[in-house]
Amino acid sequence: MPFPKVTLERPRWTPFNIVAAIIVVVGLAITGIRFTQGLAATTRLSDYNPWGLWIGFDLLVGVALAAGGYVTSAACYLFGLKRFHTAVRPAILTGFLGYALVVLALHYDVGRPWRLPYPFLVQQGTTSLLFEVAACVALYLTVLFIEWTPAALEWLGLKRARNLVVRLTLVLTIFGVVLSTLHQSSLGALFLIAPSKLHPLWYSPYLALFFFVSSIVAGLSMVIFEGALAHRYFHHKMDEAHRREADGVALGFAKAASWVLAGYFVLKVVGVAQADAWRHLASGYGAWFLVEVIGFVLLPCFFFAVGAREKNLKIVRFTAAWAVLGIVINRFNVGLIAFNYHLPAEERYFPHWMEIGISLFIVTIGILAYKFIVSHMPILYAHPDYEPH
Amino acid sequence: MGEGVHSLHEFMLRTESITYILIAAALLGFVFFWRFLSERDEDRDYLGADRPGGEGGGHGAHH
Repeated sequence: MPFPKVTLERPRWTPFNIVAAIIVVVGLAITGIRFTQGLAATTRLSDYNPWGLWIGFDLLVGVALAAGGYVTSAACYLFGLKRFHTAVRPAILTGFLGYALVVLALHYDVGRPWRLPYPFLVQQGTTSLLFEVAACVALYLTVLFIEWTPAALEWLGLKRARNLVVRLTLVLTIFGVVLSTLHQSSLGALFLIAPSKLHPLWYSPYLALFFFVSSIVAGLSMVIFEGALAHRYFHHKMDEAHRREADGVALGFAKAASWVLAGYFVLKVVGVAQADAWRHLASGYGAWFLVEVIGFVLLPCFFFAVGAREKNLKIVRFTAAWAVLGIVINRFNVGLIAFNYHLPAEERYFPHWMEIGISLFIVTIGILAYKFIVSHMPILYAHPDYEPH
Repeated sequence: MGEGVHSLHEFMLRTESITYILIAAALLGFVFFWRFLSERDEDRDYLGADRPGGEGGGHGAHH
């Protein structure tokens, strides 16, 4: 197989690089303020709203959108769908970066971030859902790091270490699925403690199930969306196998996503029925709930189905971005918009510009890290010196 | 709780009855959804896995 060593002379100061550089500089400045002057100087968090954008977006959305790793590796290694094999490494990389950035974001959000290891070392609090989330995220980040290392070890030329890690693939995949099932659902279950604070249309005893099922949609959609972006911006880094299988991955995942979205839609309606919350649909929050459930669950479900049926990649890729946006909206609704819905307007939370700045900073770091790794390591092509695993 | 619902029993009866009807409708709907999604597949099973003699994924996709 030809080793794609393409060197393109590209201008250093592209629009992307300039914008990224500005965001990084501003982000570093805000970081300095955050860690010298504390949360009060950089956030609008309060006793009413102790969780803001850094939890609602960076953590809840970040964890959901990083689900592509376990979804793709499970499809390939556990369900034997080997035709998705070329999608595994990009998905694992996205998952690893996603979780690493979630933990980075937590350092900003937690008042005393040096105490993050306390749940493991000082006070376990094993009856707390947050303990389960902390344990699973820590363990899964480790699993994703190990799953990602074959690419780095191939890049570094460490054959023996790479072959050793590759032998762990199946065990790591099983670990990944188990840990993801646990903490994706637990993130939803965290809100079960606040039935009076979360709007009845979003509060449900099935919150854990909603978060888990929607994370599968997020994972499938992100793999399609990221594949489309990689196809556009890193086409020169892809080998023949990746280019050939990319369409099949998108269509196969679109079909799966349409099924999961159909199930998710039914679950959401059952959630309303079980809570007998029908009357709330006639309110402003009800209209917004319908926008989420019809506009960002039912319609993407239909268009994924049409795209998969017609084998139309344009529809599939557009719908993947649409579904990703739907997951963002859902996590915002549960974590921010429908939370504390009963408070007067002046007590409601709206993020400080520095919170938005840090979120942009963290996303930008993720994109830059992805760009560096994909440009240097065998993520979108198979290294010619190694057998695929 | 809706009008005319005065006890937990009435609440459960109402919500569970609606849920059962919804689930029955959903199961029926899934059959048609499956047919809509899969009727143009010629060489694949319902999960999209390769069948013996079938061709690989993505052939004939519209860009």
